[in-house]
Amino acid sequence: MVPDCPGDQHSTAPAGAYDQPKIPRSGAAVTVSWGHRGAVHAMPIVAMALVVVLLGVFLWVLDRNEREEEAHALIKDILWVEQNLRFQLASDVDKLEHLAETLGREDGDALSLAPVMRHIVTTNPAVEQILWLDANGRTVAAMPPAGGDGDGAQPRGEAFKVARSLGRRVYGAPYRLPQRGAGFDVVIPVFGPRGFAGALAGVFSIDAILANHVPWWFAQRYQLEVVNADGTVLGAKSHLAVTEPRRSHTLAYDPPGRGLTLVATVYQTDANATRNILVAAIFALTASALWSLWAVRRHIRGRVTAERALREEHAFRKAMEDSLTAGMRARDMEGRITYVNPAFCRMVGWPAEELIGRGPPMPYWPPEEMGRCEDVFRSVLAGRAPPEGFELRFMRRDGERFDALVYEAPLIDAGGRQTGWMASVLDITERKRAADLARQQQEKLQQTARLITMGEMASTLAHELNQPLSAIASYSTGCLNRLHAGPCSAAELAPPLEKLASQARRAGQIIRRVHDFVRKREPNVAAVNLTAVIEDSVALMASDARKHGVRITVQGDERAPPVLADRILVQQVLLNLMRNAIEAMAQTPREARELGVAVEVHEDSVTTRIRDRGCGIAPEVAERLFSPFFTTKTEGMGMGLNICRSIVEHHKGRLWYDVHPGGNGSGGTTFQFTLPTAGKGEA
Amino acid sequence: MTGQVHIVDDDEAIRDALHWLFTSRDVPAAAYASAEGFLEAWSEAMAGCLLLDIRMDGMSGLELFDRLREQGCRLPVIFLTGHGDVPAAVSALKKGARDFVEKPFNDNDLVDRVIEALAYDAEQRARDAGQASIAARLATLTQRERQVMDLVIAGKLNKVIADDLGISMRTVEVHRAHVFEKMGVKTAVELARLLATV
Repeated sequence: MVPDCPGDQHSTAPAGAYDQPKIPRSGAAVTVSWGHRGAVHAMPIVAMALVVVLLGVFLWVLDRNEREEEAHALIKDILWVEQNLRFQLASDVDKLEHLAETLGREDGDALSLAPVMRHIVTTNPAVEQILWLDANGRTVAAMPPAGGDGDGAQPRGEAFKVARSLGRRVYGAPYRLPQRGAGFDVVIPVFGPRGFAGALAGVFSIDAILANHVPWWFAQRYQLEVVNADGTVLGAKSHLAVTEPRRSHTLAYDPPGRGLTLVATVYQTDANATRNILVAAIFALTASALWSLWAVRRHIRGRVTAERALREEHAFRKAMEDSLTAGMRARDMEGRITYVNPAFCRMVGWPAEELIGRGPPMPYWPPEEMGRCEDVFRSVLAGRAPPEGFELRFMRRDGERFDALVYEAPLIDAGGRQTGWMASVLDITERKRAADLARQQQEKLQQTARLITMGEMASTLAHELNQPLSAIASYSTGCLNRLHAGPCSAAELAPPLEKLASQARRAGQIIRRVHDFVRKREPNVAAVNLTAVIEDSVALMASDARKHGVRITVQGDERAPPVLADRILVQQVLLNLMRNAIEAMAQTPREARELGVAVEVHEDSVTTRIRDRGCGIAPEVAERLFSPFFTTKTEGMGMGLNICRSIVEHHKGRLWYDVHPGGNGSGGTTFQFTLPTAGKGEA
Repeated sequence: MTGQVHIVDDDEAIRDALHWLFTSRDVPAAAYASAEGFLEAWSEAMAGCLLLDIRMDGMSGLELFDRLREQGCRLPVIFLTGHGDVPAAVSALKKGARDFVEKPFNDNDLVDRVIEALAYDAEQRARDAGQASIAARLATLTQRERQVMDLVIAGKLNKVIADDLGISMRTVEVHRAHVFEKMGVKTAVELARLLATV
């Protein structure tokens, strides 16, 4: 196994299996569906176009058929009407011929025939008037009696002449009737026993003919007109104007002939209107269908755009999730895994399909951590997951353990409901190892720095130690001298021996301090009496200070609470700062060389001030004061202040300095650092 | 022996231990806690020797040494040094300190050296006392007698002296007799030996 090589895991088969890139495939699907979509889009439009075209053709055919049918009907109807009119006219004329025959037989006694004539006029509405003309064409009698002759005299005269010469009935030219409308005459020669006895003229009213002999259904469908040869309308069945000239048929009206024609014009029928409405409805429907098609298409286009955006967004998110190096894990409210991203799979070594749906205990919980994992699991489900995350030890599939930093957050769906828990999991094994290494190195560095500090102080410490040793030697030699000189009392020797013992203790104290200071040890942050640490430090520095002619004044604060710190590290800071302060005063007049150590208590911290009356700090030095390996001393390593600051910051404190302007003892520098006070529980 | 060892050390233990040590060898000792304290107590008449810690709060041992020298103190000085202070002690030796002892020291050896220093001081003091009487006698000579004496020491005859000073031989003889009388000598050789010790 090569557990330290994360790249190795990428190349293993299971990892590759669930690590396949899926984006290209979905991309191919996009183009295919786009081809389909084109056809899908075109089809309804083509269909609609076909429907419209077929509908148009159908309507056109229908219209043509209808028109043909209409034309046929028109011709049929008008032929029928013409026949009917001719038949009626023939029937009327027959009656008049019969009367004329009777007249010939009766020898021209018109009066006796008056009732017959009246009967004819009244029963035949087409016959307006019956006239009895003598052989010369003068009117002998009229039934009904003539009111006025109108324009009828001349055509009647012509007809009379023709009838006389031909000896058979003749239709006169149409003329305007005195009452209304137009009419024509039928002149029937009357032959009596003496030959031509005159003529019987029947005045027919065209209007009356049309009114009585054209049936209603015809009038409803057609306008029927009788038109003169010169186009003058002599009579019409209906006087309604035909708004739109439509199909019409003209038929010669013979008899009476004389250039008269029957013109039937088709009315706009109701059926027509219905059909138009139908057509309009069909077109409206088609239009609405097209509009809805367009609307649907627009909607679809919108949807497609949205879908594409969604797909892109999804692909982006997927790519993001896949390329994340942090593991992601979603769980439902019961704690079953609902989702894991590839990074998580890589981290634990199980493929996603084996993890999804799994509830506790998870396969990646190491057996020895099972209890803790379960506790954390329960507290997460209870909603008590710490927002700053928590550390757990997980297990890879191959059994390797790793440290994971887990952040749990509630998983809220679009409706604002919580559906589970989302966790991001970071593999911090390396980070922890690096941090441990860095901490060890820092400790080693601090240890080394302490040794260096002590090394630099060696001569003064030796002197410090010399003091009690010298005293011890002197006391003991003095005692021996006394003993050699002759008998002496215990009372005489006891005091110097007691003093000797106390000096031995003093030497031991010094050695203990040095030993405490340089001993290799684990950092031990605890409640520390700062005043005692300062006293110790001052004691260690005392001989150094004396050597440099520096007075040390300590201004402690009786009320100073214990601080939360590592005693030795704080002492290291104090010694470093005090040494710097002493050395800064090398140029200061001897009587002004004073090193002040003061303690100031704040609400939740204690500030320690170390003030010298030295040369201050030049701006070009200040810039690099805290940089490692920067020093103004010939023997210095340049780690002192750097280490001091990292120690203080490690204690959540702050280290800074103020320069007091002024020379030769009035100025100087104050280094200050804060340390947090120990809480009441820890004090 | 009238001299004492004057111990100047700011370390109370050292002071006390040394005091006990010297007392155990019947060497009279006096202890001072600081250089300033000693300066205050010092006078020309103080005899003995000085055991001076080179490193002290306030005025250091070397500073005190310089100050005493300036004020004409001729007490023999033995410096007590730590091992780091040897260069300072050497420079003090060059300035005329008698000795230095490195801490931790061999105590009886130190006592021996102190005793030597005390003896030296006593001798020096005795010599100083003799010289002081010669000087006093010289002071009683008149100017002319002084001139005559200088020429006598130079080994000149009365006749030559008379010529040099432009006085009579008789006068030279009278002056010569006065010089011999005042200086308490009988011959010119004796006079020369006396003056050679100054």
